[in-house]
Amino acid sequence: MNKILTIVAVVMAVCQAAATDSIAVRPVRPVVSAYAVEIGSGHVADTYLSPLNYSGWTTAFSYERMQAMKFDPRRWAMQLKVDVGLTRTDNPARNASIWAAGLSGRWGMMRRWTLDNGLTLAAGGSTSINLGALYTTRNGNNPVAAKASWTVNATASASIKVRLLGKPVVVRYQPTLPLTGIFFSQQYGELYYEIYLGDRSGLVHGAWPGNYFALDNLLTADILFGATALRVGYHNSVLSTRVSNLTTRLVSHSFLIGVSGEWFSIAPGHKISHEAEVISAWY
Amino acid sequence: MKIPKFLTSLLVAVLSLTACHSLPEYENDPEGNFDALWTIIDEHYCFFKEKNVDWRGVYTEFRPKVRPDMTSQELFSLCAEMLDVLEDGHTNLSSSFNTSYYRRWWSDYPQNYNARVIEQYYFNFNYRQAAGLMYGILLDNIGYVRYDSFADGVGEGNLDSVLAYLSTCNGLIIDIRDNGGGSMTNVDKIVARFITERTLMGYISHKTGPGHDSFSDPRPYYIDPAPAGRLMWSKPTVVLTNRSTFSAANNFVSVMQYLPQVKIVGSRTGGGSGMPFSSELPNGWGIRFSACSVLDARGNTTEFGIDPSPGCEVDLDERLVADGHDTMLDFAVDMLCQM
Repeated sequence: MNKILTIVAVVMAVCQAAATDSIAVRPVRPVVSAYAVEIGSGHVADTYLSPLNYSGWTTAFSYERMQAMKFDPRRWAMQLKVDVGLTRTDNPARNASIWAAGLSGRWGMMRRWTLDNGLTLAAGGSTSINLGALYTTRNGNNPVAAKASWTVNATASASIKVRLLGKPVVVRYQPTLPLTGIFFSQQYGELYYEIYLGDRSGLVHGAWPGNYFALDNLLTADILFGATALRVGYHNSVLSTRVSNLTTRLVSHSFLIGVSGEWFSIAPGHKISHEAEVISAWY
Repeated sequence: MKIPKFLTSLLVAVLSLTACHSLPEYENDPEGNFDALWTIIDEHYCFFKEKNVDWRGVYTEFRPKVRPDMTSQELFSLCAEMLDVLEDGHTNLSSSFNTSYYRRWWSDYPQNYNARVIEQYYFNFNYRQAAGLMYGILLDNIGYVRYDSFADGVGEGNLDSVLAYLSTCNGLIIDIRDNGGGSMTNVDKIVARFITERTLMGYISHKTGPGHDSFSDPRPYYIDPAPAGRLMWSKPTVVLTNRSTFSAANNFVSVMQYLPQVKIVGSRTGGGSGMPFSSELPNGWGIRFSACSVLDARGNTTEFGIDPSPGCEVDLDERLVADGHDTMLDFAVDMLCQM
């Protein structure tokens, strides 16, 4: 009996040790979250509303979340980004305005390569949903141009962790380019009243860079103060569409400032081993 | 590190194939503003064919008159003169100092309306008002509703109140003389009280591109009766019109004329069946123009107006106005008394 108890105790100890080892080697994937406010210049043109270029200010609030993927955390990371924006622009004579409001959400994954010099490059794909509208204060029956799209995008990034004035700083540049998808546009001289009456034909169009060209450039520097960082950066967004003989161009250049940080998500009852490898989605 | 080459190649290819799409560019000088105006009309106006207008010829005629040193007032006058070629009441050029109108579509015709006569001699200023509707009961137990503008708001409750008040009348006159139009949704709202089943209102055709013949196929649009619980009107009805019955009011007539219990009485309407769009010039002037053609339920254009029902054409006898007589209204009352 004593022998049996001894064997059971040894087996349990071995199993526990094995279990402890497996927890210890499982990498930890912190969540990178960032909240930022953007302020800058906006430029709007939409030939359904006016043949003129409008210029003014733009502001936005953005949320970004990144995390290494569970299935291959060293090589793959995911990214979620949500933006809410508002733009007010004036015509050249400054006697009319166009307001632009938009909401967009983007989710994607990127394959990462870390170079010997610490530079991390990544490339992958994402999908976006964008909703918004342009409104001009001067038109009667054509005051609004609604905007909606779903796109599949190519994206890439380069990031590196450096020291600046004694502080660690993560510098990252990420362009995103829609390759295909669908988007909404009313027809050339179509009234929204017609759509209201039930004419839904010709409103949805296939997107490719020839008729739906968009490029989003994001350059950020996260200055780390422990687990939290101050994010500053530059955001450039270009959208140019041409469909149904209508051209739309939305361009913005914004300075952004916000907070970011890496956060650990731990299930109740679990602990993180000091030996666990931390795999950041940042770099 | 091995970044897939195809991805790099794809991005380079995509970026080299595309760029921002071109936009029209005009200088903010007399030539640039004139060219912008002419081009906007050229690419968006919807009645060149119906009005037999050679817009290229118009450019040839007017463009040489533009001088770099002309004043804003001179340029405005020239542009307004050019737009008058369209003979379109929906086409206006707006600046801070003036708005152009083509007025001959109504000024060449008798006005056929005097509101004071009705208010004083038919109601002794004792009429009712519900939102944009002025109403009352005439001597021969004929209900009277005047609607000055389809831009004036009218709610379902207003219509219920008016129809309830007039429910004992033998007939109804809807006076839309001098009604210059407004919202199409108000047209729908009122017509819905006069129909018992889903009714074809007409057809809408919009431009699909800048070409003068680029139009969508006319698409029918319908209206349903007002929902259950709302008061309806099925007794004999007269719609009183004059040449200043225009735009949405003209559209109202285009629908009502085909209802069996309705007669159109008065004079030919002013038309204006093109739904207007707005645009602008580099100097900030606004331009409004007919952009989207609305046809009646039989597919006919009503841009040039709608004639009264057969045998119902009548003008206001100005000699009797001083005695307090609206001969058009009297004609309508007599007709309803016989229907």
